[in-house]
Amino acid sequence: MTPAAAHTFFEDTKLNDLVTSPAMTVTEAHLSLYSGLTGDAAVEPGAVAELLPLCLSIGLGWRVPQPPLAVLAFMSMDWQIVRALHVGDTVYGTSRVVSRRTMREGGIVIEDHEIIDQRGETVQRGRFTFLVARRPA
Amino acid sequence: MLSYAGMTPSGRRYFEEIEVGEEFESPGRTVTETDIVLFAGLSGDYNVLHTDAEFMKKSIFGERIAHGLLGLAIQSGLFYRTGRVFATLAFVGLKWKFKGPIKIGDTIRLRTRVASKRETGKTDRGLVVVERTVLNQRDEVVQEGETELMVERRPA
Repeated sequence: MTPAAAHTFFEDTKLNDLVTSPAMTVTEAHLSLYSGLTGDAAVEPGAVAELLPLCLSIGLGWRVPQPPLAVLAFMSMDWQIVRALHVGDTVYGTSRVVSRRTMREGGIVIEDHEIIDQRGETVQRGRFTFLVARRPA
Repeated sequence: MLSYAGMTPSGRRYFEEIEVGEEFESPGRTVTETDIVLFAGLSGDYNVLHTDAEFMKKSIFGERIAHGLLGLAIQSGLFYRTGRVFATLAFVGLKWKFKGPIKIGDTIRLRTRVASKRETGKTDRGLVVVERTVLNQRDEVVQEGETELMVERRPA
């Protein structure tokens, strides 16, 4: 096994802890790279492809002091797009553990996520369910 | 033989023209190592599941797997290639399940079915719920869920 980097294991997760990411400006470059890679586009004319901020916010979640969650599997998500984003908007993300449940292989962790723009308005929000590893013995 | 049946562009379809129960299937797309590396770079998600081949050899998957959100984004792109584009005004939301891994070299395609339609308080638009199933080359469901779209009504 490759030496394990620091991770947040199931035992380390705490209910209601709010984690706030740094912010990032969504640029034309993000949009072109994303559209070229995935073939996806905004349904709303002139807006940023609706799933792009979600993809970027996951990465922003890696740029916080807390070590990344030791995810075994991303199981499901519910997601709402509250308003459109445009190139030049600056977003950050927040996440909060709302439920944790022990399983045989680890634990189920449910997190509420929000993406917030430079005006402080929530642009997207939802809930992720992860299967998370236990701390190795 | 290469067939273009069912791939005729039909233009944007208004709320009234969309029928509950209609089904479409997209072309396939092979997910490559390049897709995964580029998505890690773009999103900043460098989770070992997607980037560490040696670690993943010893995992239940046996190899690196695509980001769940990469699969989600690719199916969204494939939706545009079903040739049945709606006159969508807004992407309202989605409920989604990641059922199985997408591995390097897997070919995925999207199957959609219009699950329901409903009118809203506004007379110029309606809500359409589309069930989506992402299948691999073995017809295994790797992702599935439903998306809610706000679609323009035919102008009076």
